[in-house]
Amino acid sequence: MKRSKRIEALDKRPVNLDGYIHEWPEMGFVAMKSPYDPKPSVKVSNGVITELDGKTRDEFDFIDQFIADYAIDIERAEKSMATPSLDIARMIVDINVSRKEIVDLISGITPAKMAEVMNHLNVVELMMGMQKIRARKMPGNQAHITNLKDDPVQLAADAAEGALRGFAEEETTMGVARYAPLSAMALLIGSQIGRPGVLTQCSAEEATELELGIRGLTTYAETLSVYGTEKVFVDGDDTPYSKAFLNSAYASRGLKVRFTSGAGSEVLMGYSEKKSMLYLECRCLYVTKGAGSQGIQNGSVSCIGIPGSVPGGIREVMSENLVAALLGLEVASSNDQSFSNSDMRRTARTMLQFLPGTDFIFSGYAAEPNYDNMFAGSNFDAEDFDDYNVLQRDMQVDGGLRPVTEEEVIRVRNKAAKAVQAVFKYLGLTSVSDEQVEAVTYAHGSKDTLSRDVTADLMSAEDVLKRNITGVDVVKALAESGYEDVASSVLNMLKQRVVGDYMQTSAILDRNFNVLSGVNTPNDYMGPGTGYRVEGERWEEIKNIPHIIDPKDI
Amino acid sequence: MQINEELIRKITEEVMRQLNADAPKKQSCVNSLAGQDRINPEKTSYAGYPKAKVGTDPKEVVIGVGAAFQREIKKTINGIPLEDVIKNVKAGIEEEGMVPRVVKILDTSDVCFMALEAAKLSGSGIGVGIQSKGTTVIHQKDLYPLSNLELFPQAPLMNLDTYRKIGQNAAKYVKGEQVVPIPCTNDPMTRPKYQVKAAIMHIAETEQLDPDMGIIEWEE
Repeated sequence: MKRSKRIEALDKRPVNLDGYIHEWPEMGFVAMKSPYDPKPSVKVSNGVITELDGKTRDEFDFIDQFIADYAIDIERAEKSMATPSLDIARMIVDINVSRKEIVDLISGITPAKMAEVMNHLNVVELMMGMQKIRARKMPGNQAHITNLKDDPVQLAADAAEGALRGFAEEETTMGVARYAPLSAMALLIGSQIGRPGVLTQCSAEEATELELGIRGLTTYAETLSVYGTEKVFVDGDDTPYSKAFLNSAYASRGLKVRFTSGAGSEVLMGYSEKKSMLYLECRCLYVTKGAGSQGIQNGSVSCIGIPGSVPGGIREVMSENLVAALLGLEVASSNDQSFSNSDMRRTARTMLQFLPGTDFIFSGYAAEPNYDNMFAGSNFDAEDFDDYNVLQRDMQVDGGLRPVTEEEVIRVRNKAAKAVQAVFKYLGLTSVSDEQVEAVTYAHGSKDTLSRDVTADLMSAEDVLKRNITGVDVVKALAESGYEDVASSVLNMLKQRVVGDYMQTSAILDRNFNVLSGVNTPNDYMGPGTGYRVEGERWEEIKNIPHIIDPKDI
Repeated sequence: MQINEELIRKITEEVMRQLNADAPKKQSCVNSLAGQDRINPEKTSYAGYPKAKVGTDPKEVVIGVGAAFQREIKKTINGIPLEDVIKNVKAGIEEEGMVPRVVKILDTSDVCFMALEAAKLSGSGIGVGIQSKGTTVIHQKDLYPLSNLELFPQAPLMNLDTYRKIGQNAAKYVKGEQVVPIPCTNDPMTRPKYQVKAAIMHIAETEQLDPDMGIIEWEE
């Protein structure tokens, strides 16, 4: 066939490099609704749920049982279930119905009913719902801080710059898992140099992550994964009960923690049980609530290519964010994984969370170039910082970031790199040269930095664990190396563990270590003139981007 | 020039043949598979294959391959023939003076568990797990399942040289050397391009599982 030049041009567009597939419910490739999804139902007798979404108690798998016993308000169940799904959907977008009223009503419905409610809402209504139901009044943002070399000096510098730019939480992970203790330490130090009060975590194998938290080298945890089918749980060597125990282990040491889930994981693992992604994610979110977690990272997360490949998939992603908020959970709403070759498509996908605002719009945003992002690439990266700042300014929306000056960036990066150099030296760990500090200070990514001695680094990382080095040792090392201000900030982060207020839903800390959560700064949106508004100092900050035309220069 | 019916028919046929051959594959031409429960209708039987034994040779590195390996799936996600993959991992192990043994894992398709099971069968306690789509983990028998020595999560970025180095590094762990992990590669755009393909390949592997058979010796 002679080819149309127009179709040829279209075929070459980046959007056509993405993967798409027809709906295939038997394999779980279906977003909002599968013909195999159960019909909502509940039966209560003697204070026990004896039927849940078409299954009687003897037919329950361990997820059903966990949900029936711990995630549904049994007192409310029959009344809530009697309210038509369409009525609940309408209440969600009705500015005259308060968040509390809806959250109370929702606490009595089942996962299948929740999926049914979401199927009544289009994407604009989902956004309206999020604007109203999000737990914390002010939205926030989270960064990924990683690099291809697992270079702790660069981690510290990027953490400092990210904190300066406004991220309230920073998460790292490693290419080589054994680097974890050094990564956690570098992130902790760097973040406090950029802006005191930023929370940090190190995503690693669960036992390692817990140990780093207990030692005070991280200040929150996020990678407690839950799944929507029993088989995937079992493959991960887990049950809802084991996740609840792990959650309690963190809580017992005063550490903030959230779970992780999202559409597509069951499809990727080959065990979707023919259910829709939304229904399975509802089950995950009920497990999260039942396990007593204050929050969730969800919105497909690392499986975004799966909902992204089917019709209505991005609507499903926003639906699951809203379901989490409706269950009273803190929502860190993904946008954290490369999703499309098309700049247009990846931006549009993020608008669903950016415009209404979520507790953390990204979880997280790559605060390094994407080639350095060890979560296999985020939806936005360091090269998008200015685009993002302009989007906030164009729409008068608070996306959690702020414009910065080059001088500030260089100053905090340099201080962070030097502080890590000093702490490692004081603790007798792997050495950091002045040349490395210099390269990292001015670097964009790891292509601009010097190579590390990986063998020496890994020996030091092991040493941190063997010698039982804790957050307090880091405080001491900072203080005795001339970084009293940073030492004081790190110590203040450790004190949060004793006070425990930041374990409340959707908590972040301001620069004076005051907790801002869904409890003491609750979202009170009820239509125009209420809720969080971008104004005053914050609006002035957002307005003031670099690259403004000076009329005097013309 | 003489035009007859026969000639017109032949020309029409030829034009139609070329048209069909040149026609670009369009989305609309892809039929939905909705209603089908499996990717491959048949499940391969491994009845009669010898069950894998726990090795005693301290120089041994066991390679555990996926259930669909070299059967339903013959190439990795980016088209590398699986027989070349296995050849290179084995060659890497042998170059470092250690001894490879290949088993096929029929009770899990999770790469971390595959690698750990291989490690537990290995005389040295070091094992390698390779899914049919190419994802690979180097594991040690006394580590947590979801921990590992080295993980190569982005199968589309793998090449034969990487597989050879994986063999070499696995052997070096056996020798107790200070091993420099193989440098990570990262391409943020592999997910949008390959994740659906990865899901389909993983489903194809998972539907071949036969937990009753467990793990078998695999000499292909």
